Amino acid sequence: MTNAPNKRPAFEPASELLKPVSRDPDMKRPASTVAGALLVFLRVVSGLIILIMIVLDWRNTLKEVDVTIEGVENTPEVAQAALITVVIFLGVVLLVDAALALFILTGHNWARVTVMTFSAISIVGAFIQWWSEGQEITINGSLLTLGLDILILLALSSRSAAAYARRNERR
Amino acid sequence: MTDEPRRRRYSIGVAIDWFFFVFAGLAAIWLAYLSFTETFNVGWWGIAVAIAFWVLLAYLVLPRLHRILTTVYVPDYFIGRARTSDGLLGDPVNLAVLGEAEQIHTAMREAGWTRADPVTLGSSWRIISSTLTRRSYGEAPVSPLFLFGRQQDFAYQQEVDGNPAQRHHVRFWQCPEEWLLPGGSRVDWLAAGTFDTAVGLSLFTLQVTHRIDADTDIERDHIVRTVTAADPRVTVTTLKDFSTGYHARNGGGDSIRTDGDLPIVDVRAVQEATA
Repeated sequence: MTNAPNKRPAFEPASELLKPVSRDPDMKRPASTVAGALLVFLRVVSGLIILIMIVLDWRNTLKEVDVTIEGVENTPEVAQAALITVVIFLGVVLLVDAALALFILTGHNWARVTVMTFSAISIVGAFIQWWSEGQEITINGSLLTLGLDILILLALSSRSAAAYARRNERR
Repeated sequence: MTDEPRRRRYSIGVAIDWFFFVFAGLAAIWLAYLSFTETFNVGWWGIAVAIAFWVLLAYLVLPRLHRILTTVYVPDYFIGRARTSDGLLGDPVNLAVLGEAEQIHTAMREAGWTRADPVTLGSSWRIISSTLTRRSYGEAPVSPLFLFGRQQDFAYQQEVDGNPAQRHHVRFWQCPEEWLLPGGSRVDWLAAGTFDTAVGLSLFTLQVTHRIDADTDIERDHIVRTVTAADPRVTVTTLKDFSTGYHARNGGGDSIRTDGDLPIVDVRAVQEATA
């Protein structure tokens, strides 16, 4: 056999792509991270507008509430309680969302991954409804919220945003 | 067994990032499709939606797709071409330099070249406003191109008749230490010089970009000529047929052709300007 050194393979192994990123604590905040955080804030603001609309139009919304829980009578008191629960729940979600946006802005990777995961779940849900149940996605309907989710995912999954969120990781 | 903890060759976090990177690309294609079909449903607003569709396609969807695909099929070692931020093959590397950064700065300044501003929000805005008002912007930034996985270290340019659409420009990358050119020559810097002829749409991403002159050898020889004429201490040796002569396309879809020679500009005799 020959003593020639091993030849370099002609292809790059897939594991090359999964190499840990290099550590760069002084990295400047990239535009994609800022855009991602701003879009999350935009989502919070749009949620806030819906919340305010519910509260301002409390009586009319109350009439539309239709509680269908077994063993619970659909009285005005129950509807009132249900609506309050929904409003509080929505408020907490929005608060958490706003906090996550702040953590993304300061470059915390767990916040970035959390937001991306929930966006991905919501996109998959919308896709299933559109594909198999034929639900229309129009500009007056859910296209704007769906678009917001996809744009958030695009911004936060970009390489610069990922590198910024992982800038402090040890190699 | 060693006491040293084994360094992992791969990272699960990076794998998760890749999943979201590809997933977002697919989701963006879907969004582009939805907004495209919606264009026909909203009457005159369709024009606005169509513009939004183009922005989405050109600046988000196609770059992401190119990034995913070029990761698969474009090799990441030196092949004499710079790459765009989407991973597409960009301008040809057609110049090499020996010397320190400061010496290059001095030589280029003496030869009548202007250093390009880095791309920032402010300089981007100045490009737009100077294009609209037809004012000159001699330090206009150049788009980032990548070599050795890094953006250019600096770039120089010359305006032509104060027209922002046309300019000479050349990007410089410092070579990694101990790095040799194919064939074994040692150089300190590599550079890619091209001449912007007009503003147009990129063929591959549909983005607004500069079209470059196909004959990159003219620009290469222009750089060498101006630098050697300005300072007699600058010497040039040429690697004949460094790359075979070829026709190709750059990242914007412009055709390029070259005879394949690589001039090595030696600026080591230039004294650094002590400001």
